[in-house]
Formats: sequence, C-alpha cells, structure tokens
Amino acid sequence: MTRKMIIDTDTASDDAVAIMMALQTPDIEVEAITVVAGNMPVEQGSINARYTVELCGKHVPVYHGADQPLTREIYRAYFFHGPDGMGGMNYQAKTPPAEGHAVEVLIDTIKANPGIILVTLGPLTNVALAVAKAPEIVENVNRCVVMGGAANVVGNITPAAEYNIWCDPEAARMVFRSGLPVEMVGWEVCRGEANLSDADMRFLKEEINTPLAHFTVDCNISALDANRNWLGDPGLGLPDPVAMAIAIDPTLCTRQSKHYVEVECDGTYTRGMTVVDQLNVTPYDTANVAMWQPLTQKGAPHITVCWEIDARRWKDLLYQTVRA
Amino acid sequence: MPRKIIIDTDPGVDDAMAIFFALRSPELDVIGLTTIFGNVHTSLATTNALRLLEIAGRPDIPVAKGSDHPLAVPFGGPVPFVHGDDGQGNVHLPAPTTAPLDQSAAAFIVEQVMAAPGAITLVPVGPLTNIALALRLEPRIIERVREVVLMGGNALAPGNATPAAEANVHNDPEAADVVLGAGWPITMVGLDVTHKVHMSGAHLAQYAQAANPLAQHIARIVPFYRAYFERCFPGSEGIYVHDSSAIAYLLDPGLFETRQWPIRVETQGISRGKTWPATGSGNDAHPAAWQGRPPVNVCIGVDGARLVALELERLTRS
Repeated sequence: MTRKMIIDTDTASDDAVAIMMALQTPDIEVEAITVVAGNMPVEQGSINARYTVELCGKHVPVYHGADQPLTREIYRAYFFHGPDGMGGMNYQAKTPPAEGHAVEVLIDTIKANPGIILVTLGPLTNVALAVAKAPEIVENVNRCVVMGGAANVVGNITPAAEYNIWCDPEAARMVFRSGLPVEMVGWEVCRGEANLSDADMRFLKEEINTPLAHFTVDCNISALDANRNWLGDPGLGLPDPVAMAIAIDPTLCTRQSKHYVEVECDGTYTRGMTVVDQLNVTPYDTANVAMWQPLTQKGAPHITVCWEIDARRWKDLLYQTVRA
Repeated sequence: MPRKIIIDTDPGVDDAMAIFFALRSPELDVIGLTTIFGNVHTSLATTNALRLLEIAGRPDIPVAKGSDHPLAVPFGGPVPFVHGDDGQGNVHLPAPTTAPLDQSAAAFIVEQVMAAPGAITLVPVGPLTNIALALRLEPRIIERVREVVLMGGNALAPGNATPAAEANVHNDPEAADVVLGAGWPITMVGLDVTHKVHMSGAHLAQYAQAANPLAQHIARIVPFYRAYFERCFPGSEGIYVHDSSAIAYLLDPGLFETRQWPIRVETQGISRGKTWPATGSGNDAHPAAWQGRPPVNVCIGVDGARLVALELERLTRS
C-alpha cells in the first residue's frame, strides 16, 4: 500500500537529497512539493526542487509559496549552501513550476488525502498560513515530520535556535500550536554520528556510483565546507534527509517522547528557541500555568520530540534510495 | 589556611544541606551568610539562616539580610510545595535567639571583599540579586574577589522552574545577566551537572543514622523535599543535589568537567531566565549579544557518585 506525502521545502542542497529520497521510495507517493522562502528565494528553491524531480525521472508538481516570513526579515543561507543553494552546480530545470499557490495546494492536497504525511524541510510559513486558513486540515494529517528546532541544546544560527524555526518563529509557533501531529526532528540528531564521513562520501561516489549518488555529494559541496569550517563539525550534515528518513521509516527514530513545545517569539537572545518542557514542569508553578496555557488547555502534550536516531540505518536508507 | 567564603542563600532544604556541608568542611571558613528571596521570602530566609547556624553551633557567624525583590520586577513568590511553608520541610523550628546584622547583604559583601583583597569567595546558591547590587555598589569587588561559584542556570539542559529556565536564575534574570557578565572569575554550577548528582533514599537514610545535630536536622527536613522530587519526576527516587554541588566544587573542582563560554541570560519571553552559552561553533551568524562577554566557567559534567560520597562523609561523621 502506498503512502501519500506532501513536502514543503526551501530547497537547497540537503532539501534536494531529502526530496530525492522520498521520490525514490517505492511505497511513497509524493503528491506535491511546495516551496517556501528560507535558505533560498522561492524562485531558486523551485528550480532546485524541479531539477531534483527531473533527475529522479518523476512528474511531481512544484508550487511556489510565501516568499517572506510572516513578520520577520528574511535571512538567507547562501553562506551555507552556495549562491544557488546547490554548491554552485547551477543545475537548470526544464519543467516550469506548477500553477497555483503553495498554501492553497497544501490545503487542497491534505483535504483530498486523509492520512497524508506532511514533511517540512524549511521555515514553516506556508504550513502556518495553511492551518490558519483551514484549521480543519490538521485532522487529515497522519504525521507532520518537521526538520527544525533544537531540543534544549545549542542551535546552529544563534546559540539558542535552529535556522528553520528561527527564520519564521511566529509561523513555527502557529504550526506547533495547531494540533498537527508534529514530530520534531531537531538539528542535534542530524549531526555527529549522523554526518556522512569522508569514507561514506567515497562509498557513495565510488562504490554505489549512480547519478543520484554523485548528486547527493556534489550538490552539497558548499554545505560540506560550511559544516567543517563554520560549524566545526566533521563530515557532511544532512538534516533534511535525516528528517525525511524518519518520515519514510519511523523506526529510525530510536528514542522519542511527547512534550509541550513552545517557540520563543519574544526573546532578546532566544528568538526561535524550541522550548521543550522536557522535565514536565508546566503544572508546578503558577507563572508556568498562565504562560503555557495556550498549549496545556488543549490537552496532553502532542509534539513528539526525536531524541536519538539509528545513524547506521539512516545511512543505509539513503544508500538504498540512491541505488534505486 | 581555610578558604573564606560568604554563602548567599534562600534556605531552603538544599540550602541547609549546602550550608552544613560547608560548615563541616575544614577547607572552608564560612565568614557570613547573606540572605535572599527564592525558595522563601527574604525575611524567612534570614530567620532560617539564623536557625541553621544555631543548630550547627555557630551563632557567631554573621547573617546579613538581603534584598526583598528582584532588580526589575516583583518576586514571583516562594515555592512551599518544594521546601515547605517554613522552607525547612514543615518542621517548624523555634524562633532564633540571634539577630541579623544591621547591614544589608550587598553592603556586607562589599565590606568583606574590599577588606580582604583576593581572599573572599562568594557562593550564591539563590537568585543573584544581592550579588548584582554589590557589584553596582562597589564595582571594584570584581578585582578584589577571589572567585564566585554559583549554583544556578542551565547551559544545555532543560529548565526546572519553567521548561526553559532554572529556578535561581529565573527568579532574577536581570541580576544573573549582570553577574555572569561582570568579568570576574566565575563558575556556574547549574542543572547541567546538578541533575546528574543523585542522592538516593539509601543515601538519605544515612543522615538519620548520624549522631551530629546537623545530620539530624537534614534527616528531619529532607523527607518533604524528597517527596517533591518523587512527585515531579515520576519513577525517580531520592533527590538531585543542587546547592551542595557548589560547595563540592570549592572542595574538589576535579569532580567537574568545565567549559569556558560567554553566557547571556534571556530576560524576555517564554524562555525568560534561560542561560544561553555561545559555544563557539555553528552559531556565530548573530553573535553580537555574546561578543565582548567574558567567559564563564560552566560545569557540564560531574562525577556524581564521588560528589555524593564527599557530602555524606562530611555530614555524617560524628
């Protein structure tokens, strides 16, 4: 039985690999790809998404969405992914973008496909607008896998925050409060052991040696460089593909728990922090009770936080999809 | 010569344990207690400080009463569900026979530090209001203090007062931002380590077995505190060791793994009171707020078993 999926993305290099993984998974049917402003302007993200679809030999429509966060100034990540978001490879797409706005497409697609999996790989602007316009769609979403946040750990764009959430914190707050069954795949589980080592990248290019294996490494040249020299992490981090891997195979997340999670929108230093009530302290203090009521009044915690992944099996799934 | 320390405290069950731990450690010379709101109101904190010194047979140690309120906002209120209405596990001690100094905590800290350059270590185990006030009153204490070792904050650990913040810092984030940015030698002993220091029911039972009055007092007050932990952390048993971990750092810093990171304290939003370190990698796109901030010696790892053994050894011998 196939599973329906819709992907919202600010397509740069790691988004592209994530999209590829979904397209290359036989029992996943990607209904649409919606593009949001984030790493890249929507126009560039759209080119990158369409090129990826073409490379996989598929025909999935790519729609343009919000080209700005809800209230914040956009902050691009050219420094991380390169001027084209694809490591300077300047891939060109042959197909045009599809007609229609991403927000409408998200609503219509989710309405038409009860049980669909929603995967978000960028800032949550499009999804926030969709749930604002049609709050009832949350009932139709079986899983909402979000690459974003940092669960009480250090961030990657500020000490407190991960880029996707930080970029549009108000949108993220709306989505986290919307009732969507969010599975938060934070930045911290996508680094360290999850990074592709030099040996892993050699294995992709020399052993697997398919066009998709080369694409996986080549489009991430800038990201690899930024990972090493800016983040100071060894290897290539692929946050979006890790989240996609969990969307494809939930058992790759080996430790998870449900919590109230609020997104900081007012902090001086902590904009975009994903505040996870990890120790379940919200009931114990009157100040907490008032501040957290928007979440607690809706019932039990419903945001699933992924704490650990099986790094070996995530890479195996990546290899499997580039071989196909 | 034992090291002179001033403990700034809001007693508090774990404050009592920390004060007694220090009093029974020959390496330390407690030259005064200064009091602050937090676990209880400042007035009760002051009364409790006097009571604890009497129990310990040290009514000679001066107590200076501190600020009633945080720097910028009203006090959020005590936490009787953690420490009891009396701050001492609802054992309702008799009134003390001694009185506090006729001097504020901040003035006492300034006087002591200025009079003995390089000799005094400040050990705040409550909200940092008094320390911030002392800094404002006399900035030269930055050069004159030996060291500041505080219990508070959470660098890369979840909060306990709110989901984001640790209780002491949450009670006065503005003061904490001043104290952590002052540019003096300062060590943060926060939830990153104290939630790794676990005193089990079997450990706690040793206090009741010990003959000395300090251990006997701890045995009386700790059950209420323990019940809070076991209620709030289902499946847990015993207590986490918060304030005493700062005393342990003074006695044996080798118990801890530390990093030198600048820290900002959030004062706004739902994460008010969160202490965020800039760890130096991967997050320097917007570093302005951390730039120029002095490094804080942040405890991130601890040998919890050895720490607990050290505290028990000091407090349970006769």
